[in-house]
Amino acid sequence: MKIVGVCACTVGIAHTYIAQEKLEKAAEKLGYDIHLETQGTIGTENPLTQEEIDSADIAILAIDVKIKGMERFQNITKLTVPTDIAIKSPTKLIEKSVEVAKSRMSGTKA
Amino acid sequence: MKSFVKSLRLKNHLLTAISFLIPVVCGAGFMIAIGLAMGGNSSADLTKSFTFWDALAKLGGTGLGMLPMIISTGIAFSIADKPGIAPGLVVGLAAEAIGAGFIGGLIGGYMAGWLVLATIKYVKLPSWANGLMPMLIVPFIASFIGSIIMVYVIGSPIGWLTAGLTHYLSTLNGTSKLFYGLMIGVLASVDYGGPINKTVFAFVLTMQASGVNEPITALILVNMATPLGFTAAYFFGKMFRKTIYTKVEVETIKTAFPMGIFEIVEGVLPIVLNDIVRCVVATGIGGAVGGAISMYFSANSKVPFGGLLAIPTMTRPIGFIIGLVANVIVTGLALALLKKRVTAEDEEKEDTATEADLNMDDIQIS
Repeated sequence: MKIVGVCACTVGIAHTYIAQEKLEKAAEKLGYDIHLETQGTIGTENPLTQEEIDSADIAILAIDVKIKGMERFQNITKLTVPTDIAIKSPTKLIEKSVEVAKSRMSGTKA
Repeated sequence: MKSFVKSLRLKNHLLTAISFLIPVVCGAGFMIAIGLAMGGNSSADLTKSFTFWDALAKLGGTGLGMLPMIISTGIAFSIADKPGIAPGLVVGLAAEAIGAGFIGGLIGGYMAGWLVLATIKYVKLPSWANGLMPMLIVPFIASFIGSIIMVYVIGSPIGWLTAGLTHYLSTLNGTSKLFYGLMIGVLASVDYGGPINKTVFAFVLTMQASGVNEPITALILVNMATPLGFTAAYFFGKMFRKTIYTKVEVETIKTAFPMGIFEIVEGVLPIVLNDIVRCVVATGIGGAVGGAISMYFSANSKVPFGGLLAIPTMTRPIGFIIGLVANVIVTGLALALLKKRVTAEDEEKEDTATEADLNMDDIQIS
């Protein structure tokens, strides 16, 4: 299972990076591969390429604000949440996203 | 109806605009704060003779004067992407020109953004004229209709509303001041720079733009006192012989403290997240005290941001300092008393917080 995503909060100095860290830890604990891009006030860090997004199974957008490069996520199933959901319930969010990804996959096969 | 309101994503657009606004408030706010603190005059005429500090104060003030346009442009951009920028700016300027100020800019931004979307959707041109769409039709129609509505329809009522509110707030007596200060204090201190704090910020900034400085001063105070209170709690903990922070958390305090001096709350977030309920209760009580005292003594920062640097711009700094000290002590004591003693087990466990349940309303799957 490969997860990609973006974190971006209003001020772009704290929630963004905490959400990133929490989601990464939670994914690691559950044994999933995750790559998160952050769009803070300082700019985009840890950027995602189109190839990475296309090869992923699901995207998590933990965002409070409009993000750059939304068009990259056109062809992937996305879970969009406020950053504080990712911060307060990272494991449950990852589990949910995996559940959605699996149901979509079986849906397309059937 | 509820899902229609939700589909407008009003809050999301406002937060995006605030994310553009805050660096301007910080940059220009620090400039005017330093300028005024060093004796500069923010209404100096830079085509005549002026000092360095006059220039600093004047430029900072000019930057802050752009806030109605920035909020409007930010909202329109959030709604309509790049085509939203030009109409957002023009309608924001219209709001400023008609005296509708920050609230006008806010409403104008939504209007400009939606007008752009509507123009793109409903105006159909023959294919030979398609090139005119982005260059001429969209910016012209959206700016034109938006500014006309702002100037002839909604601008003046918003201006009256703002003036009425300003008058009401500036004639508050002691008890209602306490009440408003308490409200601002609690709301500003319970989510550590999150959406509630920023919404309060947008509101008090509106007040300051119309000349009422007290509400924003209460917010500055609480935003400073929250991280400083966490620092104070460390020392109160020592006094009570109670270790309330893990080693990692103590390291966090070391960066949160200087950030707090300059009114950045977010530094304490990692600590808060390990123990949300107790921290929110403690900072909420402290914020209520600080906000109420600041409003009661009418502490009045002339700048919207700056932390310690805002103090020299006040004509009644004493109220601010009393409120700040009280807020720091109350928050610190409350934290030291409420927080559990750190055990060896906690030191090893990185994440002690239990996860909240997911609310499916917050998750949008697409």
